[in-house]
Amino acid sequence: MTAPAELESFVERRDERWRALETLLDGAEREAELGPERLMELVRLYRLSCSDLNRLRTLTANPDLLGRVNRVVARGYRTIYQHRMRRWPRLELKQWMFRDMPDTVRREWRFVLASALALLLGAALGFTAVVSNPDDAAGLVPPGLYVEHPRERVAALESGPERIDSAEKATSFGAFLYSHNIQVSFVAFTLGAATLFLGWLLVFLNGVLLGAVAAQYAVEGVGTFFLAWVGPHGVLELPAIVIAAAAGLRMGWAVVAPGEIGRPAAIRETFTPAAWLLATSVLLLVLAGIIEGSFSQFSARLVPYPWKIAAAGVLAIGLVGWLGVPRRRSDGP
Amino acid sequence: MSGRQSVLVHSPEHVEIALEPAGLGRRGAALLLDIALIGAGCGLLATMGRLLPASIAGAVTTTACFVLFWAYWPVCELRWGGRTFGKQLLGLRVVDGRGLPLDGRQSVIRTVARALDMAPLGGVGFFTALLDRRRRRLGDLLADTLVVEERAGRYLAFAAAGERRYNSLRTPRMRRLIAHRLGAEDREFLLAVCLRAGAMAEGARHDLFEAAGAHFRAVLEIDDDRLTGEAVVRGLASVCHGRDVD
Repeated sequence: MTAPAELESFVERRDERWRALETLLDGAEREAELGPERLMELVRLYRLSCSDLNRLRTLTANPDLLGRVNRVVARGYRTIYQHRMRRWPRLELKQWMFRDMPDTVRREWRFVLASALALLLGAALGFTAVVSNPDDAAGLVPPGLYVEHPRERVAALESGPERIDSAEKATSFGAFLYSHNIQVSFVAFTLGAATLFLGWLLVFLNGVLLGAVAAQYAVEGVGTFFLAWVGPHGVLELPAIVIAAAAGLRMGWAVVAPGEIGRPAAIRETFTPAAWLLATSVLLLVLAGIIEGSFSQFSARLVPYPWKIAAAGVLAIGLVGWLGVPRRRSDGP
Repeated sequence: MSGRQSVLVHSPEHVEIALEPAGLGRRGAALLLDIALIGAGCGLLATMGRLLPASIAGAVTTTACFVLFWAYWPVCELRWGGRTFGKQLLGLRVVDGRGLPLDGRQSVIRTVARALDMAPLGGVGFFTALLDRRRRRLGDLLADTLVVEERAGRYLAFAAAGERRYNSLRTPRMRRLIAHRLGAEDREFLLAVCLRAGAMAEGARHDLFEAAGAHFRAVLEIDDDRLTGEAVVRGLASVCHGRDVD
């Protein structure tokens, strides 16, 4: 038999098998369970089709024909060797909040520390620069945030009408803030994961900005206002950004220094901690956004500064207690 | 810009499976469809939000749209085996770098990376994918995933073939003659000769192409004597199979 004739008869004989495999694969995609008999049949047809694909490659180079069988085999491979895991994890909020999130933050403390140092170094630099030369504020703070006379601004805010005077404004502003901040944390994560240094730099620059703005208020003698204004939400928002960036640094480090297990495996190992760190960050940002949209905006007439600063302190203690202090567990036998 | 490169996966059955990375045009179209769907969903949510008390309507709508945008990708990808609505329509699928279904963590990481991939106006993701031979955006690189074509039938040997600038045999008349005078065996022969030519000794290759060229010149009445036998065979293979074959 000549090669093309052999090919023709081969395809004719096998076509039915490939169609049957496609039908079973369609069923597997639609239904959660195929049942033992159909599953065994699927495995059998997949193995036979693998053998067909190898045989076909010796008979032809026809891209359409090979492509078609290759696609069926690829689908079969994907279906049969898929990860044995629950696709939809059970909603175990208590376990997520009190075990997985804090444990991951503590386990990844080196990256959290590296990220926190970026923020603190940046803040120290920005603060020192503006305190030593207040004119530097114009260069360090973006025009939208640059305030020439914080004292006048504080006086206007504290004597004028309340910025947030209705539940509607508070909830809408809070929702806008946490939506925006979560996206910023995603950017910090991705920059760190993709480039390592740029992720760290982003946090550092945020620190510079924070320090410079704080110094502007401190120099004008209205530092207490700044503390009361930023403190209640800042104690959650800043750690959230630090934690998101730490997740990126964790992944970026696996790319740069994968160790003996190799880069692909090292990166895969970071998927779980990165996901938990991001989840922690998102949760903190939602809380921070709600606080920033309402409580932080209230003037001293409504909530005096000491109360706001005390609230910031309580939140900070709560955060450290949640993420920093290991809990005793009664492990089962 | 770098050419697309197939990914070869070796299955436990000792068969090589080729994964064909999706082109940027199709991916862009799928993205637009998905964004249009999300936009429509947000419009619907905003309309429904008007029914809520004013004190929470704005917050609920903003949050719901935010959740819809960020949850859409992982929910669809996990529910429909790596396909969103747009990808289903365009025959695309996200798979793990090893050709397996992507898992929840991978889906979350490639979704989170969209925040950077989409900035500015998708530029980061577009240029990253353009420079990567497997057309992976930043999110795909981080999550070790790949968007593959499910409909295309191109085999990797074909994708590796180069492009010829001008094929004088690609004419309507020649297409008609090929359709009437060349059977499946002839077409198969043309392709096989082209793909195996690289492994032949030079003399044997010349003789084979000249003999085959002479045969097809006679069958298809090709009277352009500037074409060598090899040029005739390759030109015809290209017309028959849609791409130039080197």
